[in-house]
Amino acid sequence: MILIAIIIGCIIGAVIGVFAPMVSYTYSGYLAIAIIAALDSVFGGIVATLKKNFNLTIFVTGFFGNAILAILLTILGEKLNVDIYLAAIVVFVGRMFTNLAIIRRYYVDVVMKKIEEKKSKKKVENEK
Amino acid sequence: MNKKQIAITLGIMCLILTMGTVVQVRTINSANQIVAQSFADNELRDQVLRWKERYDTTYANLQNAEKKLEEVRETASANTEGSEEKEAELKKNNMLLGLTNVTGEGVVVTLKDNDAVDSSKVLDLSNLLVHDGDLLGIVSELKNGGAEAISINDQRIVSTSSITCEGNVISINGEKVSSPFVIKAIGRPTMYSALVRPGGTIEYLNSRIIATISQEDNITINKYNGVISSKYMQYDE
Repeated sequence: MILIAIIIGCIIGAVIGVFAPMVSYTYSGYLAIAIIAALDSVFGGIVATLKKNFNLTIFVTGFFGNAILAILLTILGEKLNVDIYLAAIVVFVGRMFTNLAIIRRYYVDVVMKKIEEKKSKKKVENEK
Repeated sequence: MNKKQIAITLGIMCLILTMGTVVQVRTINSANQIVAQSFADNELRDQVLRWKERYDTTYANLQNAEKKLEEVRETASANTEGSEEKEAELKKNNMLLGLTNVTGEGVVVTLKDNDAVDSSKVLDLSNLLVHDGDLLGIVSELKNGGAEAISINDQRIVSTSSITCEGNVISINGEKVSSPFVIKAIGRPTMYSALVRPGGTIEYLNSRIIATISQEDNITINKYNGVISSKYMQYDE
């Protein structure tokens, strides 16, 4: 159910995106940072699901809050002539890598446990 | 919150995320695909696009206005006496000004950057390129030889034309043109001999770049597609 909703959402989003008007080049930088922030929230959500402490409210507020905060910080940085968006990218992408590492470790652990179980079963059979 | 609500929320979020991503990718693809470091660059790029659009619309307007002018002229000259003479005069004047397409016999000169020589063995690479001076020399020689209409890469040479160097391209009539340059000229056949004589312009240019010339019976030269305007000069009785 959830997977179907996600896939349908992605397809409809892509179709709307193809036909939607293009953003002016000046503002495409803000949109890019919002996308990075949203992606970061998605990875955070996956990690939370794996750790079994996923909370939809926190996920949704993080998704939109991070994106909006990133855009606002970028605008502020532009007004102050400081490239704040670089800091935002470093933080978000860095967190993405950490989350990816956590996800990887989780699945590596799962696979390793299965292999070891098989081995121990064989050992038991051999001893018999 | 039940499962249905969660599914709908996640679906909407995925929708927003993919939509944003697709729009962003399209925007970046339509731009020059150069990753800009600062937002000032983007502003300039935006402005260039805007001005290009404005130029296109203005040019279309100009074309329309010219068509209308032609119509008005035709009706006006049809209504008055001695109209045929006037129209003939008008046509002749327009031809001389470079505002009409013209055909006739003449010569075609082609100038190309020299790519036959190994560039690593040359002291000064700029010697192998066609410069604005070369074009000016050819144009002067053609005019001296009796050319009546000249165009370089379809840019008609009129009374207000200039041939200038703009970095790595050459600007003629404010339009950028680049190698190979095809110079068409209609006029007296003596132009040909004026250019190919021993020690003449073609021989001199061939020592650096690749210059070829041919005599042709039927050349068409397009009209000048800009506007010749005057602001400071006034008619003196």
